[in-house]
Amino acid sequence: MQNLKSFWIRKKISRFLSYTFLIFVIFNVNITKSFSDNLKMGESTIQQMIIEAQKHAIDTIKLEPNERSLKIELLNKKYINLDFMSKATTGSFWKKASETQKEKYKAALLKQIVLTIEEHLNTLATLSYKPTKSERRGKKLIYVRGLIEDPNKKKPNINLLWKLAANKNGSFLILDLEIEGISLVSSQKAEAVSILRKNRGNFDILLNKMTRDN
Amino acid sequence: MTKKYKFLFVKFITALFILNGCSNSTKFASENKDPFEKINRNVFQFNKYVDQKIISPISKTYVKKVPAKIRSGVSNHLQWMDTPNTIINSALQTDMENTILASAKFLLNGLTLGFYDLDKGETVIKKRDFGSTLARLNVSEGPFLMVPLIGPKTTRDLTGTILDRQNMATLSSNSIDDLSLAEVPINIIDKRSKMSKTLDNIYLSADPYVKVRSFYLQNRRNEIYSEKYIENKNNDLDAEFEKLLD
Repeated sequence: MQNLKSFWIRKKISRFLSYTFLIFVIFNVNITKSFSDNLKMGESTIQQMIIEAQKHAIDTIKLEPNERSLKIELLNKKYINLDFMSKATTGSFWKKASETQKEKYKAALLKQIVLTIEEHLNTLATLSYKPTKSERRGKKLIYVRGLIEDPNKKKPNINLLWKLAANKNGSFLILDLEIEGISLVSSQKAEAVSILRKNRGNFDILLNKMTRDN
Repeated sequence: MTKKYKFLFVKFITALFILNGCSNSTKFASENKDPFEKINRNVFQFNKYVDQKIISPISKTYVKKVPAKIRSGVSNHLQWMDTPNTIINSALQTDMENTILASAKFLLNGLTLGFYDLDKGETVIKKRDFGSTLARLNVSEGPFLMVPLIGPKTTRDLTGTILDRQNMATLSSNSIDDLSLAEVPINIIDKRSKMSKTLDNIYLSADPYVKVRSFYLQNRRNEIYSEKYIENKNNDLDAEFEKLLD
């Protein structure tokens, strides 16, 4: 009787352990699958953007600078999370800005990003992009690393790091770009916050300075 | 170097170290460690004026008139002239792989006085200077400085640059020393021509001084510090980003 009871308990325990193991495996496979899916989506977003940027650089080479900028703006809007970048580059001052100021700041920031991209666009058209490594960071972020190489090896490689996160629709958007370790968001934040601090959070002064020469 | 100048030089280096020490002892300083911002901004305006009135026009003419092949040769030669500093400092930092690679490349390209890269860019050498050696020795970064005609530096890097120049002067003969002095303006023009668009865009930004400071500090820290530092920096940024995404 005692033997039968212990046999029964053992069987129960082993069944419980098997189910737990099975649930763990299924859960883990799902998580890993979703992680790798996200990584792939992040990588393909960057690949797609590079292809479009290179095509764009060649197609628009004969256009007037203003027309060219306008087309780059459209490309940027498609791939960049401008809302996030605006918040990240102004820190706690963002909450104090009015809706109009927020919209104006977003437009000015977009112009600055366009300037930075224009600076490298022709170079990008002649060089090749090679993805090197992607990794998931924390709960939401994805890092996609890549290299810009000169096929003739006359110019040194440029290391790029894209930081992405999915938006509400599930598509991945760029939050920050580091070129050779220099973060676009960090440098813009240093600049914007320095001006805002000096002017007691007055967004209009920042906006005047940002749009002064553009 | 005469006795008087040697004494002044030692005094200057000591002053820089003291300046370095009294400011902050933490290894990884924050971006805003700029106690001399007012003076720095004035120096930046001066440098900008000199750049826009003298250096930029010369560099534009240099790019227009001098063929790309010759410019590339000059650039290679300047890099080659700087390699002994990398060799010495890599050895001081016990980075033997970089020491050996840099020495081999220096000897190989020495056949053309460095004007032609016989290695064709196959060997990648990490540039090392005395500033990075001081960082390895845990000397703090010190306050940010804008040096007239030289540009952005931290006190540690300025000390390093002076010691690097001193190193070269001790190692080389007088004729090579004179030659390297003549190379200073060429070096400036060469660097300016490579950074032309970047600098012009910086001048257009809302606060060019802060932008230069941010670019310089980020770039320098990435060059000097280990992967652990970069990982820590990224972890901090990730936490900030995730908070904003919520």
